[in-house]
Amino acid sequence: MSAAPRFDEIIHPSTRLSIVALLAAADWADFSYVRDQLDLSDSALSKQFATLEEAGYITVERPLTDRRRRVRVRLTREGRTAFDGHVAALRQIVSTATQAAATL
Amino acid sequence: MDTELTEAEARAALDKIEHSRRRVIDEIDMPQWYWNGVALGWVVLGVIADLQISWLTAVATVVFGAVHASVSSRLLGGRHRTDRLSVSTETAGRHTVLIIAIWLMGLAGVTVGLALLAKADGAGHPVTIASVIVALLVLLGGPQLMAALRRRAARSANGQ
Repeated sequence: MSAAPRFDEIIHPSTRLSIVALLAAADWADFSYVRDQLDLSDSALSKQFATLEEAGYITVERPLTDRRRRVRVRLTREGRTAFDGHVAALRQIVSTATQAAATL
Repeated sequence: MDTELTEAEARAALDKIEHSRRRVIDEIDMPQWYWNGVALGWVVLGVIADLQISWLTAVATVVFGAVHASVSSRLLGGRHRTDRLSVSTETAGRHTVLIIAIWLMGLAGVTVGLALLAKADGAGHPVTIASVIVALLVLLGGPQLMAALRRRAARSANGQ
C-alpha cells in the first residue's frame, strides 16, 4: 500500500472504520452481511452507510435478486483512496512513535 | 497530519482494520456441495472408464468437464462461498484459481497413476478403485486446501 498518509475523520470512528475495512477487502458486501458481522441494528448501519455515501466513499445498490430486495454496498475509488491514506496515516503514527522511543 | 491520535489509539485502529480483513478472509471457501459433486463425478467417470466403452468414456468426460467448468467459473476462486459477499481478488490472492486448478489436474494424474498400478496388480476395476481413492482425497483435501489458501491470504495481508 503506497498511499500518501492522510488521516480521515469520516472513516476513523470505530464502527465506520470496521465497515470500510470490511468493504476494502471485498468487491461488495450485502447489507445483512455487514450488519451481522458488526452486530449492528438495521437503523444504526443505515445511518453509518448514509454518512459514508454522502462523503462519496461507498455506493449503495439495490439489485432485485430472487425476487428479494437486497442492498449491496461497495467502496468507491474515492473511498478506497481515503481508506488507504487513513491506514498509511495510522502506520505513520505508529512508526514515528516507535522511532522516537528508539532514540530515547 | 492534524490529528492528536496516540500510538496506542493508532495501533488499536490498525488492529480493528486487521480484524475486519480477517473476517473477510474467513469467507474464502468453496461450498461442500462442490467437493461432493466433484468426488461423485470422479467416481462415476472411473466406473464408466472401467466399462471400456471408449465413446461413452469420451462423452462422460466432456459432460463432466463442461458441468464442472460452468459451476466452477464462479466458485473456483473461493470468493463467493456466500451470496452475501464477494471477496476481492486482491484479498483472496491472484493465484488462488490457478492453485486449485493445478491441484485438480494433479489429482487427475494421480488417478491415472493409481489406475495403472491397480491394473498391473491385476485388479478387476482399476480405474474405479483409483477414482474412489482420489474422490476421498477430494472430499478431505478440498477443504484443507481452502484452509491453506485462507492462511496464505492472511499472511499476504500481514505482509502489506
